[in-house]
Amino acid sequence: MLTYRQKHEQANREAIATIVALAVTIVVWIVCGFGLSGLDVTLFHTPLWVVGGTIGTWICSIVVVVVLAKKFFVGFDLDEGDDSASVEAKGEKHA
Amino acid sequence: MHSIAIAGLLPVAVFLVVALVVAVLARRQAAAGGGGFVTEYFIGNRSLGGFVLAMTTIATYGSVSSFVGGPGQAWSIGWGWVYMATVQVTALFLLYGILGKKMALVGRKLGAVTVIDVIRERYQSNALAVLSAIVIIVFFATTMIAQFVGGAKLFEAVTGYSYVMGLAIFGIAVILFTTIGGFRGVAFTDALCGIAMIVGIVVLAFGIRSAGGGYANIMDTISTNHPEMMEPLSGGNMPLGLYFTQWLLVGVFTFSLPQSVVRTMSYKDTKSLRSAMIWGTVICGAMMIGVTSLGVLSAGVLTGPLESYGGSIDNIIPTAIVTTLPPWLAGVAIIGPIAASISTVSSLLIASSSAIIKDLWLHHAEVTGKKPAERTVMRSSQLITLVIGIIVFVLSIVPPSVIWKINMFAFGGLETAFSWVLVGGLFWKRANKTGALLSMGGGVLAYCIAMATGFKIAGLHQITIGITVALVLMVIGSFLAKPTEEKTLSVFFPAK
Repeated sequence: MLTYRQKHEQANREAIATIVALAVTIVVWIVCGFGLSGLDVTLFHTPLWVVGGTIGTWICSIVVVVVLAKKFFVGFDLDEGDDSASVEAKGEKHA
Repeated sequence: MHSIAIAGLLPVAVFLVVALVVAVLARRQAAAGGGGFVTEYFIGNRSLGGFVLAMTTIATYGSVSSFVGGPGQAWSIGWGWVYMATVQVTALFLLYGILGKKMALVGRKLGAVTVIDVIRERYQSNALAVLSAIVIIVFFATTMIAQFVGGAKLFEAVTGYSYVMGLAIFGIAVILFTTIGGFRGVAFTDALCGIAMIVGIVVLAFGIRSAGGGYANIMDTISTNHPEMMEPLSGGNMPLGLYFTQWLLVGVFTFSLPQSVVRTMSYKDTKSLRSAMIWGTVICGAMMIGVTSLGVLSAGVLTGPLESYGGSIDNIIPTAIVTTLPPWLAGVAIIGPIAASISTVSSLLIASSSAIIKDLWLHHAEVTGKKPAERTVMRSSQLITLVIGIIVFVLSIVPPSVIWKINMFAFGGLETAFSWVLVGGLFWKRANKTGALLSMGGGVLAYCIAMATGFKIAGLHQITIGITVALVLMVIGSFLAKPTEEKTLSVFFPAK
């Protein structure tokens, strides 16, 4: 079971992973949109960059989020506070 | 403009009645569940599951601007606007991923009910809490008015009934179900609204497709009439700078909007957060890309100049609804934007009410030692919710012009005010009261002055000024004044 401190450390790691996920999404958005806009290719009467920049980015964001949720996010109890309470009490005594 | 028969009004009426019933049921469920009134009324006892969490966040975030103003712009600019709207796929995972767990942990530890509770505790500053409450109330009020106006204008254009009548029908409904249902009622009706928004998009998509003689035909018409609409820069109508600032405004910094952040304190467990993150991203992306695309596709059906549609892009979607759908289906289609409008209003209304009741009044009562009775708190909370609703309603009777700009103004103001205060508070130990006060006060002031005078740097939207000033002041203020006490910080940055 994680202590209150460990839960915070985990939440920090998840926040950093989220920023990485944002960076990946931005890169994919640029590459699949602006990157493809030079090509004169259409798909179902739609320019390829439109498909890539919108639906492509959307699908990418879903993949990124699934990876985030399954690989980087750790489940823990938000409520239990017994062990963390004792940690805090000790800290106060030292102070 | 042709009007739809009374039968066409039926879908909206049925929808509003169902929403009201849902709110009443939510209230009953809450009463049976126990727990203190304030925690229940303003945050639903921290009990939201994944699906409702995702839907309430999307419905709050997706507003009538997403349904009317945004697609209207897309009608004139083309696919570039949809490409830009796609950045919103990041909104939910940024909120849940960056703040989701921190706010839930800290909120439970402190027994916090509002975002301002957390800010007050972290920075130990009443001045900051009061400033936050003022910023929230002012910007939320502007946004709520924009929502009411957008919804009522659309109602008028589509049904042919008067603006005030439309405003009265759904305005009274939303004020009532928010007052009765509290946060839990808002969350559940939001889920219902989210579904209605999707239905509205699908119905209108079929209408436009059949009126335009099929998707291929529509696309060919657009590329013949307006080839620039098929380019990302839209022949200069969609400059790179606009992409950049929209990334900031409706993408990256949306994680700090207090109406979204409060939702990260309201969910049940980490499993709910994870599933909300996945489903929320799927639904938010489909909705925002879908609804904005409808604007572009309308250009294959509404081929005249803007003047022939009343000279305002806000008329495009209403016109598309009435010209492409039979009256009874038009009645179904308008539920989408009306749901978008009321789901945003309900969330802002309950959050504004919590700012006044919890952050100003109850806090003051606690400090002065005059704790009011639970029953008084209950009555007052509902009364304040009702009164704010009525004030916003009355102000909406005389409408301002282009809707999405007002919405973006408030978005920028709230992001400027809260981004660094929240990020600093949760992730930067050195951030302190002075930094936070300067950041929120100075940032918002700089943003509003820049907006009012039209001052821009490099032609970029004023959010760049607001957010930069707020960041610089947060850093300077935090280094100039002494750090926050260790004891206070232990909740936010627990020691070994």
